[in-house]
Amino acid sequence: MTIQEIMERTGLKDYTLVKAYINDAVHLIQSTSADSIKTSYSNITVASGGDDHEYDLPADLISLKSLSVKDTQDSKYKKIRRLTSSPTVAEDTSPST
Amino acid sequence: MSVDTHRTFFFELKGKKVAIWKLVDSASTDTVGSYRVRLPDSYYKNQLIYPDEAITNGLRFEYTALDKVFVEEDPQSTVDSSLTEATSPSEESHVNLNRMRSLAVVDYIKAQINENKGDFQMKEYYMREFYKKLGDSESNMRNISINFPVSPFSVK
Repeated sequence: MTIQEIMERTGLKDYTLVKAYINDAVHLIQSTSADSIKTSYSNITVASGGDDHEYDLPADLISLKSLSVKDTQDSKYKKIRRLTSSPTVAEDTSPST
Repeated sequence: MSVDTHRTFFFELKGKKVAIWKLVDSASTDTVGSYRVRLPDSYYKNQLIYPDEAITNGLRFEYTALDKVFVEEDPQSTVDSSLTEATSPSEESHVNLNRMRSLAVVDYIKAQINENKGDFQMKEYYMREFYKKLGDSESNMRNISINFPVSPFSVK
């Protein structure tokens, strides 16, 4: 359906406003059901301390479907599970050991 | 080398970031002579540690996003991979949704118009229509048909 057809069906003449509403509606659709799925990749680095084990979520993310880590032995991405609660970290002076 | 990552890696959402943890059941070791020994004060049990190896493109996010919202071609007659995004969309540009979802968008806009007018009853009506069409579109993808074979010798 074209933007023009949507404008005619809704009776709105403000093109910019209609475009903004369409973006909002698509955002809502992508929040509740998945119309299109995107994938992106990030390098895992050896963490040395602090928040080194934290990675940025994709900037355009609306709803996270899954997170996978590459199994380098068979070169496959395998879905990982989400922790239900934060682990208790008392002191982490040497995080990789 | 990362092995069985679906069992050994876990994540935790922290606002705009995701924290990665690795599950190990080993302790710090040292080599004395030709023997590998566990350090006496080292903790030995299942424990979560920070990732201890670098993996290029090791983390894969699968997510929904605003991807190609407006396109040049009609998505009803062109396959998704052949659609070109309308970078500066005009009134002739298409919304990259199927017919049912496009009709749902019309209901959404009508709901917003009624909200601006202060007519919340109509706003609720159109939002209900919006979700109804969205549900119809979703269930259209999940239709299950069951066929029963008819016996060739059955007499009716």
